[in-house]
Amino acid sequence: MNEILDVENLNFSWGRNHVLKDASISIGENELVAILGVNGAGKSTLLKCINKILTPSSGKIRISGDDIAQYNLAKLATKVSYVPQSVLTSFSMDVFDVVLLGRRPHITWRISDKDRDMVSETLRYLGLEDFAFRRFDQLSGGERQRVIIAKAIAQDPCLLLMDEPTSDLDLKNQIEVMKRMREIVSDTSKPKSALIAIHDINVAARFADRIVLLHQGEIMAEGTPETVLTEENIAEVFGVTSSIVEKTRYKPLRVIIQDEIVKSEEE
Amino acid sequence: MDSISQKHIENSKSQIIVIFILCIVTFLFAIFAMGWGSSSNLDVLTTMKILFGLESADQLQSDIIWKLRFPRILMAIVGGAALATAGALMQGCLGNPLVSPLTLGVASGAALGAAFAIVLGFSIVSSSELAIVANAFLFSLIVVAIIIQLGNIRSISAESYILVGIAITFIAGAIVSTMQYFATDAQLSQLAHWSFGSLSRPTLENALLVSLVVIALMPSALKWSWDLNALSLGGDDFAKSTGVNPESTRVRILILSALMTSVVIAFTGLIGFLGLAAPHMSRLIVGNDYRKLIPCSCVFGALLMLFADTVGRTLFAPVVIPVGIMLSVIGGPFFMYLLLKGKGAGH
Repeated sequence: MNEILDVENLNFSWGRNHVLKDASISIGENELVAILGVNGAGKSTLLKCINKILTPSSGKIRISGDDIAQYNLAKLATKVSYVPQSVLTSFSMDVFDVVLLGRRPHITWRISDKDRDMVSETLRYLGLEDFAFRRFDQLSGGERQRVIIAKAIAQDPCLLLMDEPTSDLDLKNQIEVMKRMREIVSDTSKPKSALIAIHDINVAARFADRIVLLHQGEIMAEGTPETVLTEENIAEVFGVTSSIVEKTRYKPLRVIIQDEIVKSEEE
Repeated sequence: MDSISQKHIENSKSQIIVIFILCIVTFLFAIFAMGWGSSSNLDVLTTMKILFGLESADQLQSDIIWKLRFPRILMAIVGGAALATAGALMQGCLGNPLVSPLTLGVASGAALGAAFAIVLGFSIVSSSELAIVANAFLFSLIVVAIIIQLGNIRSISAESYILVGIAITFIAGAIVSTMQYFATDAQLSQLAHWSFGSLSRPTLENALLVSLVVIALMPSALKWSWDLNALSLGGDDFAKSTGVNPESTRVRILILSALMTSVVIAFTGLIGFLGLAAPHMSRLIVGNDYRKLIPCSCVFGALLMLFADTVGRTLFAPVVIPVGIMLSVIGGPFFMYLLLKGKGAGH
């Protein structure tokens, strides 16, 4: 299997605070990988390093075999798109024009009919056609998040990086968006993959091919949902007790969170 | 073609038509303004005939139009276009609707240069006519150099640029105030008059020079409109995700807008309100897409400056009220009205 992303011994620090410690992961073609971890585990930092928003202190990141150090941002944006946790706007635009910004790495100045049609198709694909000519700042948080996801899809990259893309979405839209992501990644006619930082363990278990468990900046476990989502791992990383309902032919693996683990003072 | 794409094209076309109409209105108003003044009033048709050499005019009429009014009107159009464009660029690249071309301290630098020439008699050129202009331009270039140096500091934020601009404004202001304290009445008067911002000063050569510089700089502003869209919409991280380097883009755009501002205010004196208000008024017409906002700000700024100057020189003729004052008097209430009306309409 060809590797879309290869991260090797990545380190990142904010001063003396080591956020990422020798993190190494790889993602093959048509794979959806979820990153799980508590707040501050380093999920967003990892995604930002891959997208060159942050510069790691050491380590290598390769996209389709090429070291991203040799890419400028414009070149990288043709291969990687990124959905941030939130977008604070200074000057708003129509939704169509926001999604059109996803085509910016592919065009010089003039917009072609193909670019416009790609935007239109993406808006329809995510059920946003009725919002096309509404102002971005007049949308709800969830609607804005879907627009930014549409922008990332319209960018037509080989790797989609998403930082908690469903955090502002209602239950229906969470499932809808993840289904769409699954569809995009599963389309073997195009070598696309996704790396998604997410808080909902069950959404990750249902849609991800693999899960990366990030704990205090280190990759604690990596593999299929069945191998990674164990009661011990969940207790270690999230500090909660849980029970696992095994995957069946009809239902994905489910994690039922029970209670927080209270550590005694002696410990 | 997809129906959504079709509608996007139609929306863009209607916005381009509005900009085109603004161009025609500006052109017609310029012709009207050229014929209208305290010394003689000509109708639009006669003025056009004289301008295009279709009708022979007497020497006085020809001199009034070509030597008095043409440089002034050309300067109003070019200066208005440059200051409004510079304002739109600055607001976009700093992601802040409150900034204007003067925020970075370019104007304060220019004022300091003018004060050096007027009060201390210090100038980089020997010609007394050009002393103030040359000093104002040189000192505003020093501010541009500070901007470039700031850009070399890695990952300097948009807010830092604004704060440094405010600091430069205070420092330059303090030095100018000190010079004013020791200045004679005549020097004070000259300095105050310079700071009003007037289109009486530039000659035809000055206006043509400014036009050439502004025309040369304008394509870069348009070229970077995509980058400005990404920066102004979602800030640095969002811009990076669309392939735009926010730090280098910001420095390039700040230098461009500072140069546009410097070259105009060196000849006209301080004109502050236009660079803040004209981009916002244009946003109400074409929205925040910089591919249309830059041309619209450019034309609207020209029209606004031309209108304010024409009213200023004809309302209480033969007394001419400086355009900087007129812009605030006319533009201020109009700006507030448009903003409040826009708010009601959901902008």
